[in-house]
Amino acid sequence: MRLLVIEDEKKAGEYLKKGLEESGFTVDVALNGIDGLHLALEDDYDLIVLDVMLPGIDGWAVLTRLRARKDTPVLLLTAMDELEERVKGLELGGDDYLVKPFAFVELLARIRTLLRRGPPRDIEHMHIGDLEIDAVRRRVRRAGQRIDLTPREFSLLQLLARRRGEVLSRTQIASYVWDMNFDSDTNVVEVAIRRLRVKIDDGHEVKLIHTVRGMGYVLDEAREAN
Amino acid sequence: MARLSLSARLAITFVVITVACFSAVGFLLFEAAARRIHEQDDTNLVLATRHLRRFVAELDSPADVAAHQYRLIIGVLGDTNNALRIVDEAGHVLVERNPSRLPMTVQAMVPSERRIVAADVQSWRDADDHEIRGVSAIGKPGDGSTVTIVVARSLADRALLLSRYRRDTILALAAGMLVAVLLSYLLVRRALRPLRAMAASASAVTAHHLSTRMPADDVPAELQTLSIALNDMLGRIEDGFARVWQFTVDLAHDLRTPIGNLRGANEVALTRPRSVEEYQLLLGSNIEECDRVSRTIESVLFLARADSPQFALQRVMIEAGEELQRIADYFEGLASDAGVAVRVTAHASVHADRELFRRAVSNLLSNALRYTPAGGTIEMRALDTERGVEVSVENPGAGIPPEHMAHLFDRFYRVDRSRSDSAHSTGLGLSIVKSIMELHGGDVVAKSERQGVTRFTLTFPKPPATG
Repeated sequence: MRLLVIEDEKKAGEYLKKGLEESGFTVDVALNGIDGLHLALEDDYDLIVLDVMLPGIDGWAVLTRLRARKDTPVLLLTAMDELEERVKGLELGGDDYLVKPFAFVELLARIRTLLRRGPPRDIEHMHIGDLEIDAVRRRVRRAGQRIDLTPREFSLLQLLARRRGEVLSRTQIASYVWDMNFDSDTNVVEVAIRRLRVKIDDGHEVKLIHTVRGMGYVLDEAREAN
Repeated sequence: MARLSLSARLAITFVVITVACFSAVGFLLFEAAARRIHEQDDTNLVLATRHLRRFVAELDSPADVAAHQYRLIIGVLGDTNNALRIVDEAGHVLVERNPSRLPMTVQAMVPSERRIVAADVQSWRDADDHEIRGVSAIGKPGDGSTVTIVVARSLADRALLLSRYRRDTILALAAGMLVAVLLSYLLVRRALRPLRAMAASASAVTAHHLSTRMPADDVPAELQTLSIALNDMLGRIEDGFARVWQFTVDLAHDLRTPIGNLRGANEVALTRPRSVEEYQLLLGSNIEECDRVSRTIESVLFLARADSPQFALQRVMIEAGEELQRIADYFEGLASDAGVAVRVTAHASVHADRELFRRAVSNLLSNALRYTPAGGTIEMRALDTERGVEVSVENPGAGIPPEHMAHLFDRFYRVDRSRSDSAHSTGLGLSIVKSIMELHGGDVVAKSERQGVTRFTLTFPKPPATG
């Protein structure tokens, strides 16, 4: 998968390139709107990450001119989360937006969602190591043993399992599981994860739920201890 | 053209009014005086002529008339300025008294049998173009002959008198106007002095001297209202400035802590080589500090946006019970860790922005959880009342000391500045609750009662009746 990052902040461009490359993408970075638009039109990228505040021609102009010729998915990065900004971005043909500062894992999740094209299918039966999740009957077993979960714990586990191997931020988890879409200063998610972990991982040699400090949580069979 | 000052405008208006009034009154008085003098003169002419005609009728003949000329002149005319001429049918002058040599050319004569009236007075002019008024009548001495009597008067002296009178009037008017102009200007200046004083006070107000106030005691009633209004406005501006200033200081302070942590931890880490685990721990902690900064910035931006009039609420009818339960669920883990129960009692629908409703109630619940001792129960209620829907979060605990009550909703205000969880709390939670309630046109009230029960009540106004 080839991505184009159009971002004038040099440091931001560098870490985005590094992070996205380590997540398995091939990344080109353009430091201004003119170069970015040129690359976007000349080459075929799978997705473009576009900063709105750019010197020369800004992100809106890049998006407008790009859309005149191409349908490459565009994820907008903006410093303002005013409603008009979002509406404008989506009206001009942006596919998604993210407000700075954002969590890198969230950017990654948005990019993956856009590239997946279409909503993720509900997987009825999931197996992660010796963990089995039956989404239809909402039952969970580990090493054959039934585990009782509250509905919220089940939703949390299901989210982690569907996005296995992907680090999910606290904000993402709060939004998916409880529909709480604001940055709370409480450690609700931390506590919920800890309680889920007690039920899933306690007494098992292989731990499935991992904390990635500062970033979030991930469900995976084998992961280096953090 | 420069705009005229209020004093100048008022003074000019006064002057125009004064000049117009004085001129009109002067003109009318002058005209009235002139008319009276003319009437008086005409009456004198008529009376003298009537008198002469009667006298002539008592005499026997024109010769007799001539013989009595001195009686006629002295007795009838006295020492007036009137000129007299009596001629017989042949045109011989019988009596003549005309010191000023007035031309005595009279056209119409009043017949002997008709009474002489004021309308019979005629007017003509002499060689110097002075007006002459006179009466002519036929008289009949005893012998049946006729004589023509002419009595006339020059108005030259009257014209002189009136012209002097006119000059005096104009002089008096001019002097009067001058005094009026001067007085009105002084009066206006004096009356507007408090206004200038206010202007001077107002120009002394700058961002650094917001404590300046307008004089409000010794000003006229009309200006007092303005003065008080301006002072109130200054008070509000001063208050706003002070709050913005305090807010800036608090914000800077709040940002200094995580940035200090970031810098310090990184510096310490770089002093010597560390293990990969140590670096990972450091980077994780760095991200946490960044999150803390982001949260503060996000909260401050939220508050700023909530203050702007463009903020658009997306109000819907919300089932309060369902929402409160959802929020209680969200905090379930946290509550059960703390050994605290959360109970929801609600039978009401709230007209509110769902996202903001959740945010406000979550802030209250997270606050309540922080202060509830293990074993306690937090009560969340929604009640339909006269004023609107009251959503309350109540928790047992130590209660809020009274001295903090007034500042609870201030930005960055923390009841306990040294609390260890200040890393998690931005100190903006309750300010955000207050902003959200203001956006909804409702309010938030905190009460800390006996035995340390603390209750926060949000009042959401009812939706305007449709139809």
